[in-house]
Amino acid sequence: MPVMNIIQAVNDALRTEMRRDERVVVFGEDVGKFGGVFRATQGLQEEFGSERVFDTPLAEAGIVGMAIGMSQNGLRPVPEIQFADFIYPAIDQIVNEASKMRYRSGGQLSCPFVIRTPYGGGIRGGHYHSQSPEAYLIHTPGLKVVVPSNPSDAKGLLISSIRDEDPVVFMEPKRLYRAARGEVAEGDYSVELGKAALVREGGDITILAYGAMVPTALDAAEKAAAVDGIDSEVLDLRTLMPYDITAVLESVEKTGRAVIVHEAPRTCGFGAELAATISEKALLSLHSPVLRVTGFDTPFPYTFESEYLPNERRIRKALRDSMNF
Amino acid sequence: MSETAREHPAVQKASSGNPRSIMYREALREALLEEMRRDASVFLLGEGIARRGGSYKVTEGLLNEFGPKRVIDTPLAEATFTGAGVGAALTGMRPVVEILFIDFSMLILDQIANQAAKLQFMTNKQCSVPMVLRTQGGAGNGLAAQHSQSLEAIFYHIPGLHLAMPATPYDAKGLMKSAIRSDFPVVFIEHKLLYMTEGEVPEEEYLIPFGEASIKRPGNDLTLVAWSNMLPRSLKAAESLAEEGIDIEVVDPRTLVPLDKKTIVDSVRKTQHLVIVQEAVRRGGVASDIASYVHEEAFDYLDAPIEIVAGLNTPIPYNLSLEKACIPQEVDIIEAVRRALARTV
Repeated sequence: MPVMNIIQAVNDALRTEMRRDERVVVFGEDVGKFGGVFRATQGLQEEFGSERVFDTPLAEAGIVGMAIGMSQNGLRPVPEIQFADFIYPAIDQIVNEASKMRYRSGGQLSCPFVIRTPYGGGIRGGHYHSQSPEAYLIHTPGLKVVVPSNPSDAKGLLISSIRDEDPVVFMEPKRLYRAARGEVAEGDYSVELGKAALVREGGDITILAYGAMVPTALDAAEKAAAVDGIDSEVLDLRTLMPYDITAVLESVEKTGRAVIVHEAPRTCGFGAELAATISEKALLSLHSPVLRVTGFDTPFPYTFESEYLPNERRIRKALRDSMNF
Repeated sequence: MSETAREHPAVQKASSGNPRSIMYREALREALLEEMRRDASVFLLGEGIARRGGSYKVTEGLLNEFGPKRVIDTPLAEATFTGAGVGAALTGMRPVVEILFIDFSMLILDQIANQAAKLQFMTNKQCSVPMVLRTQGGAGNGLAAQHSQSLEAIFYHIPGLHLAMPATPYDAKGLMKSAIRSDFPVVFIEHKLLYMTEGEVPEEEYLIPFGEASIKRPGNDLTLVAWSNMLPRSLKAAESLAEEGIDIEVVDPRTLVPLDKKTIVDSVRKTQHLVIVQEAVRRGGVASDIASYVHEEAFDYLDAPIEIVAGLNTPIPYNLSLEKACIPQEVDIIEAVRRALARTV
């Protein structure tokens, strides 16, 4: 199998689906001629032409609105929002239109499209190019939210998202775009939505992470094993909505402890939902409270980026706090 | 925190010496009127708020007193007039911007999340945005998927905003006055089913500080946390359960940001049981955040899992029976209380 980074895997997934299904169209800011600011759509316009791969104005509400209309009329659009921070100008289209269409029409209409968007910090992007807005999206009934952490999942999950009958927001960890490399299956390859991946087995404590926090969590787990004698199990959630509650509870019931890691601000982040659900469903298995290692309740800082983002040191501290509760 | 501020409004009224009962919408109107008389920098912007007096009559008559420069009807262009509010606030005014339905606040999220909420941080407090965003949410009356949502969790997750969700006329007035005087951008969420509810509000001026919960009913067996329109429902549930000898403490946070975590945690440490009631959809809601916090702060005190009674994870249906099925009712709250008490470990 070829070795790719996440950019190449996303590109491969788009190419695979566009060859397979002529209804798939790609558009967004700079995705056509330029091939995307992160090069994820490079070469697609050459292969599929400017009717299927085209540039849009900087008009996010228009981009998503157009995807809604196209998807209702038989196409499978994959619009790109260049940075997840700019999803806010389009959020009315997502929350009030796309995610509700199936319900409002009694199942007569659906919006099968995928919004691809790079999210998260770690590239010195400052407050407008570093945010992690998944909490707004998982609070919106009718949406699916997918966050891959490695090239193989990026390809397999993106293909599944494109084939899904409902709107999906596909959040790509921009910090890992070129940093994460790995083998990726050629051709048609999909990974089922809603399934977590067990990326490290362990018996003492469960770490729940997704996207760019997965390698950080694994790093912390290895150091904790070597230095602190704590044997962590690491689950990569991969899909946040629907999330794999079965896998989460199985692991937490085994270890009796959980630490959740995400980049977004702590208050009402996805970690709060996970912690509340674990506490509700598995209180009797818990030896200590579910802890969260997250971004802070401030805008994403430019200077203090490395303090803001959860790191190996903070995760290990939470692991120790949980073990010593 | 003074004990008085945490007591039932009726108790506070008794000490004011001038009891009178007014509607929630009238209490809000009084707050706007008093603050506009007091401070010439306060002005109002919104759809149908001037000549029509607002869809829920909160701004009725204000145009007559303050004129069209301070009570401004806007086009249906939420991002634009909210942006105008942010700009006015940056230059020293105190705008009160009304978004007719909270559902439409999705059109202004960029102005709020990326502009208003961040400016204090980005400028190291050289700038502030002392703006109040008034809006109303919640289901009731069959207004369907796009006029019934409870979207407080979205604002609650944005660092830099304050967030009020009063449930009584007394709290609505006192918090609105504080909101207008605050130097933070404040999101002030009213509830469409509360506008016509009545409660005692003193004639004398008063303010309610942000970040102080109110214990609406003291009790010992279980803590119920509820805000906005879930408060009256929770109080009714508590009264029903009192008849069987179950003694419930009902805590209304009143402001979700800042959140009076201490009052909630103290109550849970006393009762050892917690049920949180929210109208919004369960997944990713404020109740989950409060639960995760209480779980961390009072793990050893909890005698049973925290129960969350919340809206279902669906858009709000138009059909009235289905609408009712999607939103927590008194009976759902009672069942959750029974579950929590039955699961005591």
